[in-house]
Amino acid sequence: MIQENITEEEAKVYEVLKQVPDPEVAVNIVDLGLIYKVIKNDDAKTLDVDVTLSTPGCPVGDTIIHHIETVLQNNFPEHAILVELVWEPTWNPDMISDEGREELNA
Amino acid sequence: MQVGLSTKNAPSIWVVVPHFLIGTVSFLLASLFVVFNYEDLLGYHINGHVLAIAHLMILGWVSMIIFGALYQLIPVVMQVKLYSEKLAIITLVSLVIGLFFLIAAFLGYKFQLTNNFIVGGSLVIFAIILFAINTLLSALSSDEKSISKLYIAAAGGYLLLTVLMGLFIPINLTYNLLPLAHTQLMTTHIILGLAGWFLMLVIGVAAKLMPMFLIVHRTKENLLKWGFYLINGGIIVIFVTTFISGTPYLLNQISFISILAGFVLFLFFNYDVFSHRMRRKLDIGMKLSAIGLTMFAVSILSFVALYFSNGVFGLAVGRLEILAGLMLVYGFFTGLILGQTYKTLPFIIWLFYYQKLVGKQKVPLVADLYSDRLAEIHMYSFLLSIVLFVIGLLFSIKIVLLIAALAMLFTSLVYGFNVYKMIFHRKQRVNA
Repeated sequence: MIQENITEEEAKVYEVLKQVPDPEVAVNIVDLGLIYKVIKNDDAKTLDVDVTLSTPGCPVGDTIIHHIETVLQNNFPEHAILVELVWEPTWNPDMISDEGREELNA
Repeated sequence: MQVGLSTKNAPSIWVVVPHFLIGTVSFLLASLFVVFNYEDLLGYHINGHVLAIAHLMILGWVSMIIFGALYQLIPVVMQVKLYSEKLAIITLVSLVIGLFFLIAAFLGYKFQLTNNFIVGGSLVIFAIILFAINTLLSALSSDEKSISKLYIAAAGGYLLLTVLMGLFIPINLTYNLLPLAHTQLMTTHIILGLAGWFLMLVIGVAAKLMPMFLIVHRTKENLLKWGFYLINGGIIVIFVTTFISGTPYLLNQISFISILAGFVLFLFFNYDVFSHRMRRKLDIGMKLSAIGLTMFAVSILSFVALYFSNGVFGLAVGRLEILAGLMLVYGFFTGLILGQTYKTLPFIIWLFYYQKLVGKQKVPLVADLYSDRLAEIHMYSFLLSIVLFVIGLLFSIKIVLLIAALAMLFTSLVYGFNVYKMIFHRKQRVNA
């Protein structure tokens, strides 16, 4: 996870996002290091998520984003969800968590 | 649309899937032909049955799957929509009908220009030209600057050149436009087709997919850049000198070595990717692909033996040609196609059925659409068939060739069943 100083509420969002797998490798997107930022604003009722993909042109990218939106909408129905695809910094395999590495080779 | 997403550029399932279906049927038919005509493999290669098998394998199986897979992969590699889906459908229809007439012509044992040859050949050439145009126009509309795109665009160009060269050979034989040996023209035609078209395309696609599937970030792209110069330099020199009389033999040999050196660099690139992969455990698709790449190394050695000698171990050149061709078309291309089928076909089916359902209900994983066990079984039967084909051809043992042919048929049947399972997948609802 590259985001620092997250609130308890944002940590909950990260937990929810673990329900979203990359359909190809069957590892969740949080442990793959694809989530760069989660900002949950309970006053403004907004939930912003920055997500990246392992490579531009990833064939399941659209599906992953759709899945994120659906899961967040289900869990945080009061919030306006904004999922943004970002390319900076470029994703690299060092961003995969230890749990992700284990799952990848299970 | 968010920048960098290829799903919205993805072609319709109706464009891609028929290629896999027809390709699989061709593989099955070619295997059946091999079983019933396995003794012909020991003869000289200009034989109706061997040519029917070769064209079913090259056009019906390898080209068919490559066409379908490339329509699916152009959005991934070039981040652009396929130029025309209608053109892709016309290409498919023309290729299938053309192939039917061509196979009928070969099985008819007539090497005159029969009507079947004219109709079949014209339709196949028409299909190939359309495909090359579709690929080149897709490449031109893409802003992506990558070594993959460079290889694929060059492959499209070589495909057109291969077809033009193929057309020029019979015209020159009939009207004697240029005083050139037709064997020399044929050699250049084969080099353009194999090295320029097929292999450049495979390198272009593999350069993107191998690191993507194996999760490798820092690849040795310089190897592919040097490979590009070496392969293209070699092909261009061979092509140009075909039309210049008195070209020193040494120049041709250097060009040939240059092309082979480019392929060796590609193999080193893959070796590096496999060595540094984050995904240590290979799935069945990548295992089969690794076997295909190993066979490529073996086929390079076969071609070296073929080119620099008039026979190895006392083998007739005709048999060596069959061995080299078999390792390339069967060992390498088939191995790679068997493997990459599991990395491409289930995705388009999965996206078709489940893309809209993710998050709303539990859906199966991509890998759940086919049987891993069956894929493992045909991996071993495929390996067995290769080993037996090599032994049978090198030592002229008919019974070994028959068992090899049966192993090939078994491979095509099991693979065919898995493809059937994917294509005719029934939407599942997985309980949480």
